[in-house]
This record gives sequence, structure tokens and C-alpha cells, in this order.
Amino acid sequence: MSDSSTKDRGQKPLIEGRVPAAELRARSEALFMSIGDGAIATDEFGKITRVNAAGLKILGFKEHELIGEWFPSKIVAVDEFDQPLNLIDRPITQTFLTGKSVSKRMYYRTKSGDVKPVFVTTAPIILKKRPIGAIEVFRDITVENEIDRMKSEFISLASHQLRTPLSAIKTYSHMLIEGFMGELEPAQKKALQTVVIATNRMNELISTLLNITRIESGSISVAPKPTNIQKVVEEIIKELAHTASAKSITLTLESTTNQLSLRTDALIVKEILTNLVSNAIKYTPEGGKVNIRLVGKGQRLTVSITDTGIGIPEHAQDQIFTKFFRAANVVRRETSGTGLGLYLVKGLADQIGAKVWFKSVENQGSTFYVSLPRDSFKAEHVVRPPDE
Amino acid sequence: MAKILIVEDDTDLNAAYKLILERDNHTVKSAFNGQEALEVLKSFEPDLILLDLLMPIMGGLEFLQNYELHKKHPNVKVLIFTNMENSPEVSEAYKLGAHRAIIKSWTAPQNLTRVINDALAEKRGVTA
Repeated sequence: MSDSSTKDRGQKPLIEGRVPAAELRARSEALFMSIGDGAIATDEFGKITRVNAAGLKILGFKEHELIGEWFPSKIVAVDEFDQPLNLIDRPITQTFLTGKSVSKRMYYRTKSGDVKPVFVTTAPIILKKRPIGAIEVFRDITVENEIDRMKSEFISLASHQLRTPLSAIKTYSHMLIEGFMGELEPAQKKALQTVVIATNRMNELISTLLNITRIESGSISVAPKPTNIQKVVEEIIKELAHTASAKSITLTLESTTNQLSLRTDALIVKEILTNLVSNAIKYTPEGGKVNIRLVGKGQRLTVSITDTGIGIPEHAQDQIFTKFFRAANVVRRETSGTGLGLYLVKGLADQIGAKVWFKSVENQGSTFYVSLPRDSFKAEHVVRPPDE
Repeated sequence: MAKILIVEDDTDLNAAYKLILERDNHTVKSAFNGQEALEVLKSFEPDLILLDLLMPIMGGLEFLQNYELHKKHPNVKVLIFTNMENSPEVSEAYKLGAHRAIIKSWTAPQNLTRVINDALAEKRGVTA
């Protein structure tokens, strides 16, 4: 390398002590400006001190239009219906209030009035242990959103195509059983009932796959409403009573609280509890017991499902919420499971801020616990990473 | 009993629904897409329409737009029979005046007749 090239700006030594202060500032400025995602820095009052090139490009502003402006008033965040977000719901405000890093999917209204979906992460800028402002990094996720939309559309179509032949199989099997085409022999009826049970299982599988894909693509919608949890459990018991009585299993409900109402998505709670109760019935031998218990404590309500079933072997206990996992004692007894049920339960619980755990002793039984927040709307503020 | 129009492109399902409903003494006509349905409706005013959404030539949504359920046929009940759950198409069908949406692959014949009888009862002002 020649002498002249080492004098170039880019070839200066990397040890900071040897670089003049002005040069260091210029380098940090260049570094900030070159970040590929949009970046905006503010002082401790929320006034914009710096915006990089990518940020200006996404928002359509010129640098001088933003510098010195109060961040939340100049950069307008809106929801998907173009309604401005409350100041308190904006990540930058959350970072100022909590001193923590916050991420959120939302929309920015650009200078020209367009609404762009963005994924935003804000963090406090700390100097000598003191916050001196905040930095926000954001990127345009129009393409990601479009891919998500196409993915959901594909799933919806695929599930439709899978269900269409099932509809005909199920309808005609029922018609044969009900004597539409003449009375059948008991053995023939029994054979058709097996067909119906198999189509029901196939239907459940399609629904499970559909739900899992929704969770994984982040396209599941949570609609919290006032919900009486006892009513939800009673409905589940009614629906599963037949399955339980076919195995002479006693299915009971015990409530130790009168504060049974909470704000949550009833359909998601029902899906979670149905999975757990039907597992309890499935893995409990004939003549056993399944008890559902409701316990209220502070800001949470816990539903526990205790069975006298085959239990989960100790060595398998840390894996049971894993996708496709099935414990060895289960595989030996029952071949029809998919290993997706508990994975789905866990995924759905995360959506509504619920916690799921269990205690189990092999050959004695298991208890699964679902602890539900009184208000799962608050779960919306949980920071979720973008789907990569 | 009631007059019912089945709009379903799957010929097997269409025939099955017809058999089931005729056994309940309903008067049933069949169409295999939205356009055929509009044709049948020129000479047949049903009490209830059983409507699939995904069909060739003219789907269920386009049929509802053309039929102008709200405006011209406020007394006709439309039951959506689809295998798409929670899809934007189903929400759209509700906006266009559909009464209920049912997942086909979950529905056994007893349920079909029950759902239809419930819808017809509501129409006559009987509380279900």
C-alpha cells in the first residue's frame, strides 16, 4: 500500500485516541446517516435532533423540516384505519416513561399523506447512566405485510380445498346412516360411523393447522370481550360429555370463586380449554376422573384440569409444548395424535396473555393450569418481534 | 313447508342437500352458480337461499350484490354455506345481508335441517 493511500480518510487508524474529535463526530454522523433502516434521535424532551437518510426517504420529509420539532407531533402515527394513535400508545412515549426498549407494528403518515406500515423499535439513549434522549429505528414493512396477506389467503384457500371433499364424504355417510338410501344393517351403520369419526378427526386437524398458521403468521385476531369463564367451561363439558361417558370417565366442574368474569377472547379461551380437557379424557383410562377447577386470585383467574390418566414421563416434561412432540407412553397407546395440540394451546395462550403449565406423575395423572389475566387487552402491549 | 333455493357448484353436495330438504317437505330448486341462481329467481321467490361462496362463473358475493337482498328481497333469508372460516369473504357476505354462515364440512344433515328450520322460524317472528 502506498503512502498516499494511507492518508485517505478511510484509511485513518481505528484507535480512537489518535483521531481528532471533529473527525470522530463526522464518523459517528456518517454511521448514523448510513443505517439502512429509518433512524430518528431525540433529546430528553422528545425534540428531534437527528434523522438519517433512510428515515427521510420513508417519511418524505426534508431534514430541516424535522430537526428541532417535537417528535410525536411532527411524525404522525396512525392505526390501520388512519386514526391517530394515542400519545401513550406510541413506542417513543413508552420508552420515555419506562426507560425501556419498545417495539411495535404500526403505521406512519408520510408528508404527502400516504399511510405506510412500519415496524418501530425505540430505546433510550443513555450517557453516563443518565437518559439524554431516545432513538427510534423503523422500517417500511409494506412488502412483509403483502407476503403475510398472500400467505393467509393461500391457507384459507388450501383449507377450503381440503374441506370440500370432506363435506361430501360426511354428508353422504350421514345420509346413509339415517336411511336416506334405504335401511342399513347394524354392521354397515357401524362401518359408516367409523367413516364419520375419521372425517371429524380430519376436520379437527385442518382447523388446528389453520390456527397454527394464523398464529405463526401473526394474522390471528384477538377480540377481548366480557366473558364468564364458568359458562365457557360448562359449554366445553356439554360438548365433551359424550366422549367422556363413552369411556365411563366422570367429568366434573368445581368453582372456588364467584368472580368469574374477565375480559378476554372467549373463542381463544374455549379452544385452549377444549384442547386440554379433551387431552385429559383421551389420556385417562376407562373409569377415571377429570376435574376442572376455577380459582380466582388477584388480577388472574386460574383454570386447572386434573386427570387420573397415564401422566407425562419426567424426561419428556420439558418438551411437551414443542411442535410435533409426542411422549413415548402416548405413542405406544394412541396412534392418532398429531403432536400439535399443546403447541397450539401455548401459541393461543400467548395471544391473550395467559400462562400455561402443568404438574404430572407418570401412571398417576396430570394437572394442567391456565392462568388468565382479568383483562387480556393489556396483553396487546406485549412486545412482539416481527415475523422474519 | 318452505321454498328453498340451493346455490352450490359441487354437484354431489347440491344433490345431497336437495334430498335432505325434500325429505323435510320443502320445495327445493337447485342452481350451480350465481348466474344460474339469478335465472331461477326470475320465476321462483324462495323463503331461504343456501349459498356457497366459491363458485365458477359467478360466486356467492357477486350473486348477493346482483340480487340486492337488502333492497329488493328483505324477507329472504340467506345462509352462507362455505368451507372458509373467518375469511374476509364471510364478513363481506354478512355486510351484503347474509343471515348466518356455516362451515360445510362440519355440518351433518340433522344440523342442516335444524339450522334451516331455526332461520325459517325466526323469519316468521317465532323466537328460537
